[in-house]
Amino acid sequence: MTDHAHNIPEEFKESLMFDPRPREEMNDMVMESMHTVGKAYWWAVGILSFIVATSLFGVWFFMIFKGMGYAGMNVPVFWGLFIVNFVFWIGISHAGTFVSAILRVFKAEFRRPFTRAAELMTTFGLASAGMYPLIHLGRVWVFYWMIPYPNQRLLWPNTRSPLVWDFMAITTYLLSSLMYLYLPLIPDMAMARDRSTGWRYTVYRLLALGWRGTEKEWAYLRKAINIFAWAIIPVMFSVHTIVSWDFAVSMKIGWHSTIFGPYFVTGAILSGVSAVMMVLFVIRATMKHMKYFIRLEHFDALAKLVLIFSMSWAYFFYNDFLLEWYGGEKTGHEMLANLMYGPNAWIWWSMLVFNILIPWLTLWSKKVRRTPWLLFVIATLINVGMYFERVVIVTMIPQVNRFPFAWGDYVPRMEIFISIGSLALFLLLYLLASRLIPIIPVWEVEEGHHAHSLRKYGKEYIPTVSDLD
Amino acid sequence: MSKKISRRDFLKLAGAGGAAAALTGCGPASRYVRREPYTQMPEYTHPGKSTYFATTCFECSAGCGLLVRTFQGRAIKVEGNPYHPVSGGKTCARGQATVEGLYNPDRVQGPLRVARGAANESINWDQAIGVVAGALTQYQPDEIAFLLGMAPDHLFDLVSELAAAGGARPPLRFGALGMFEARNTLLKATGRVFAQEAMPFFDMANADVVFSFGANYLETWVSPVAQARAFSSMRRGKPGRRGYIVHFEPRMSQTASVADEWVPIAPGTEGLVAAALGIMVAEARGQRVPAAYASLNLEDLLKQADVDEEVLRRLAQIFAEAREPLAIPGGSALGQINGLENAQAILMLNAVVENLGKPGGVFLSQVAAVRDDAYHRPNTLYEIYQLIKDMREGKIKALFIHGVNPAFELPAALAFDQALEKVELVVSFATFPDETARLADYILPDHAGLESWGYQKVVGVGPAVVSGAQPVVLPVFDTRATADVLLAAVQKAGGALATALPYKDEVDFIRQSVAGLRRAAGGHYSAADEATFFSRFQQFGGWWTQEAAAAAPQAASEQPLSVAAPEFDGEGELFLLPYPSPILGDGAGANRPWLQETPDPTTTVMWNTWVEMNPETARELGVTDDDVIRLVTPYGTLEASVYRYPAIRPDVIAIPFGQGHTALGRYAENRGANPARILGVKVNKAGDLAFAATRVKVEKTGRQRPLARAEDRVGVYGDGE
Amino acid sequence: MAAEEKGKWGMVIDQDICTGCNACVVACAMENNIPFVGEDETAYGRGMHWIRVERQWEGHFPEVAAVYQPVMCQQCGRAPCEPVCPVFATLHSETEHINLQVYNRCIGTRYCANNCPYVARRFNWFDYEWPAPLDNHLNPDVTVRGRGVMEKCTFCVQRIKRAEDEAAAEGREVRDGEVQPACAQACPTDAIIFGRLDDPESRVSKAARSKRGERLLEDLGTQPKVTYLKGGARYD
Repeated sequence: MTDHAHNIPEEFKESLMFDPRPREEMNDMVMESMHTVGKAYWWAVGILSFIVATSLFGVWFFMIFKGMGYAGMNVPVFWGLFIVNFVFWIGISHAGTFVSAILRVFKAEFRRPFTRAAELMTTFGLASAGMYPLIHLGRVWVFYWMIPYPNQRLLWPNTRSPLVWDFMAITTYLLSSLMYLYLPLIPDMAMARDRSTGWRYTVYRLLALGWRGTEKEWAYLRKAINIFAWAIIPVMFSVHTIVSWDFAVSMKIGWHSTIFGPYFVTGAILSGVSAVMMVLFVIRATMKHMKYFIRLEHFDALAKLVLIFSMSWAYFFYNDFLLEWYGGEKTGHEMLANLMYGPNAWIWWSMLVFNILIPWLTLWSKKVRRTPWLLFVIATLINVGMYFERVVIVTMIPQVNRFPFAWGDYVPRMEIFISIGSLALFLLLYLLASRLIPIIPVWEVEEGHHAHSLRKYGKEYIPTVSDLD
Repeated sequence: MSKKISRRDFLKLAGAGGAAAALTGCGPASRYVRREPYTQMPEYTHPGKSTYFATTCFECSAGCGLLVRTFQGRAIKVEGNPYHPVSGGKTCARGQATVEGLYNPDRVQGPLRVARGAANESINWDQAIGVVAGALTQYQPDEIAFLLGMAPDHLFDLVSELAAAGGARPPLRFGALGMFEARNTLLKATGRVFAQEAMPFFDMANADVVFSFGANYLETWVSPVAQARAFSSMRRGKPGRRGYIVHFEPRMSQTASVADEWVPIAPGTEGLVAAALGIMVAEARGQRVPAAYASLNLEDLLKQADVDEEVLRRLAQIFAEAREPLAIPGGSALGQINGLENAQAILMLNAVVENLGKPGGVFLSQVAAVRDDAYHRPNTLYEIYQLIKDMREGKIKALFIHGVNPAFELPAALAFDQALEKVELVVSFATFPDETARLADYILPDHAGLESWGYQKVVGVGPAVVSGAQPVVLPVFDTRATADVLLAAVQKAGGALATALPYKDEVDFIRQSVAGLRRAAGGHYSAADEATFFSRFQQFGGWWTQEAAAAAPQAASEQPLSVAAPEFDGEGELFLLPYPSPILGDGAGANRPWLQETPDPTTTVMWNTWVEMNPETARELGVTDDDVIRLVTPYGTLEASVYRYPAIRPDVIAIPFGQGHTALGRYAENRGANPARILGVKVNKAGDLAFAATRVKVEKTGRQRPLARAEDRVGVYGDGE
Repeated sequence: MAAEEKGKWGMVIDQDICTGCNACVVACAMENNIPFVGEDETAYGRGMHWIRVERQWEGHFPEVAAVYQPVMCQQCGRAPCEPVCPVFATLHSETEHINLQVYNRCIGTRYCANNCPYVARRFNWFDYEWPAPLDNHLNPDVTVRGRGVMEKCTFCVQRIKRAEDEAAAEGREVRDGEVQPACAQACPTDAIIFGRLDDPESRVSKAARSKRGERLLEDLGTQPKVTYLKGGARYD
């Protein structure tokens, strides 16, 4: 394979899989990227830490001691931006699993360099998301009453409550995604261990679990990854479906909808994959050697995925909208009217523009799909759009209910600080992780290199891929 | 001082309070409240058991009976006294909030020398009594004036006796609720139409068709709880027969809003409409049109009143065919320059359908014989004006004020506060540092209602009632009953006055006053001796006749009815209709936080003042909800936010009375606007203020001040700004 | 009819005689230690009123009419709030057949409030205070709620319990009319009738069978225990 490297045509050279470099070189590139920490990095870590400490934990603790009232929730909007953020981050966390597990299972080869980046998003997205059910609680100091364990109160959580399902689903997802992040990390940890000294060596040695790279170890690892890749897919679907059930099983007009499960999952993947694009753009732009691993072809492929999920999101959105509108129930119409023409209608319209109009108008073009900065902008807009979707569902739909006398409005207050704080937490964790663990799964890339080859039939080069499993 | 209540604190408080008060209800010692050690509580204060005391509500002058639940020395909850003929176990919002008055953190906590705002110095009660005694000796009797609240209560009787004994001016009684009721106009009209100036009793409970003209009988008029109960039995109390109510008023009041029909007639045309109806009803009944209407011409009336003849014909038919029709005049129909004529024309409707003295008709209230059986009417605005004039001219040297807040309630144009400056000594007995108290020299705080003894003669409800009040708790602060202060001062002053008022204290006065009832006919209980009688009096919360004691009015006078076209004061396109807030009443309720937080029934606004305006008018003026507008009358200006009210005539704007306090405690102060600042001072022929006869100009301010509403305006009115 | 009634306590509100006076609202606040929250908070939809008296307009000027509808917790037989609570803080009373709110167990997810189609639930956004000595009138029978818990109309369960205990001590059933929640007790027009629905002869059962009777959002299957009697404007 390496023999061909010097005389393959340009069109294939652009592809990472056909542009192999020696393992040692790739190892060094990844290690170097991990060790390169400039002034800007520390500034960023410092600022983000400050924001997390004050805007997230500071404000949160203030609210714990003073009361939920500093947030903007009221009657009838009992759930505010906290739940919006919860759903949003859960959505972001879908990216990792989707990109990594589903693409792995379906052997989508372009996934190889960025599975790790996506899996990290899952974990840190869940970390951000997981705080919100707690932040949201009126009495967080007794949150453990939701946990099923034998206790002197002789109480057991109400398993009929979707919130208990939520609690279970998120815990399961968090644990399994951590595991799924960790398994492919083992060989890379070993790689890092062998190239580190000092505290890093100690950490990597522990995390590498004595990996030596024997055939047997590889066989076990492959099997384990395979099992987890398959197993985590239903968990991922269930998590966001259960999140959607928080709304869908209720009696609220606009929430009580059978389509919320797939609608939420699709939306989650849309925002998650867009977020992966954003992260890749940032990694590529800021970290050393990443231009080698992350290439335009990857943006291209992800952009196509985004376009597809934008279309399916539009499909589910339309389903949901049409039924409410066509059904003609009075409150449903009033609810839709509030979304479309009410005081906050701009949120609803922006959601449509960002989630449908912009991706559809731009992503069909290969040129756009291969312009990373443009994709970054589009992906940002899509995530804003998806955030607005959750704002619409969580805070705008409840403004209208069956008693027009008791309708209401919602203006976020302290939630804004906490939202910024949790975004900072996500970025901070990612920033720290980017220098602590190899952001590129080198062995996976190498495996890809091995599996890919170009064969010459006559004058044509034909790319071939062999299945290593 | 504010304090968080944890459950533990709460229990501690309960324990401490538990060792406190026990009140006895019998024997001569009943005057005195005993403190008992925790270990030997009187039998009726078992820990964990409530004790209930019957007393009278002091929130307005209706005299509803209350049963107050107390728990280990604290008043917990007001409940209605089910035996009481006025309230029948029911209470209104204001009555319910009484405990927030009792335990209000902003009460005057002891006698104060305030020197018209220049000082704020605690004095002791001996000094306080010295001040009063000094005034009684120092000034000539006719240089001393007493200004009391609306209720004909024991204090009024005591002060009347004091004034009579010393040759002083008789006490004046006044209140904003009486002002907005135009009660004297009703009395005078009753005198003219039925030849006896008595308080009429409208037997709504037994009527089947009620035409009410401006009488907001479910809100503040005369006796709202009694009337609400009557309304209930009228409409749903008789199986198969649903009472029917038509309300004539330019604005849909809460009372109008539960009527079956609301006829938005122009302000001041109530008499014209009533007279036209009278003629039509007489015709519909196929009877001779009474002589009283001889000088009136139906067409002229209709033309002047500018009403739809069809509507009136239909309504006249209903009234004529009704078995027990009843017409009630009151409120804004009477608070007109032609108010007396209006009242007469409306009362005359009752004569046309011959319901006088019949069930469901009009009666004349009888007054229970406590000291005398006369009905002592509250004073008219004109009489208050004369007092103010005397004050201004220096004829009044000492003014004692109790139970009324004239600096807030009187039209500002009367300049009561300026006249007050000319009075040498002003003593306020207010429980709260209200606007008037702040202008006084001394505040000698009376007890709150639930700490007070007393009785009150009640009229307008059927039976003759004396409602009794007794303390349900020990005084929370260092306050003292005004009657006790006066009696002590009289003793201190000595001389003829002391011998003329030989009462040991307030309770002694009350006992002597009501003692005569023991032998009065028709009482609902009997007692073998005076002590037993008084304990019964306390136990039942008063004394009343078993049966309705109202008398049938004499046949209507034959003298011709004169109706007058409306007249107005000031200029401007719009008519101003101030009305007492159904929740805050005369404004004394404004310092009860829960009353502030209770939505106004028709607008659902809380904690503020609004101006009701027809949406059409608002559109023409270019204002919308929450826009602050300035109302300008010849007497002053006022700013408040607009509420676009769909049930008001386009040529009328209405504003509730009760907010706009500059004193009265943290919950009341600096909130809303006081319509008294723009009220006119024109009175009608009965001397009552023509409060609904002012024209007003509206100016935009360009500012907005959102109103707190319980309703959602997008949901209810569909405005989606 | 009587055999089908599973609910024990119920309420009937006669809208024909409800005058919208709000006496029930204040009585409820005084009985149940409901805090006041002030102008800004209540304007923002955080008033703690357990009863909201809805004033509904019908028609346009001059043929405009107002109807008052007091809405409180309907004590549903199949309450949407109950299954969604993760910690059983809102649950069905097996003896009174009302929805209990256990303040001490509530962790403040506010899910119950979101799932209440009647918008009858209120949340303690803050620790509300009664400045001394205003706290003296707090009812010792009712818990003072701290920040972060839900609350709502309880049908004055403390009064029901007291009457049940007294009746049990005397070895009898609770008599009709013996228990009055604060709202019904105060209501000047007696528009609120309260009593046992399992007794077909009780005043409330008879009233609930009225032809004018309607239950709010009954089609949702919530089995509300409050019946509203519609008013009639006809003259007959």
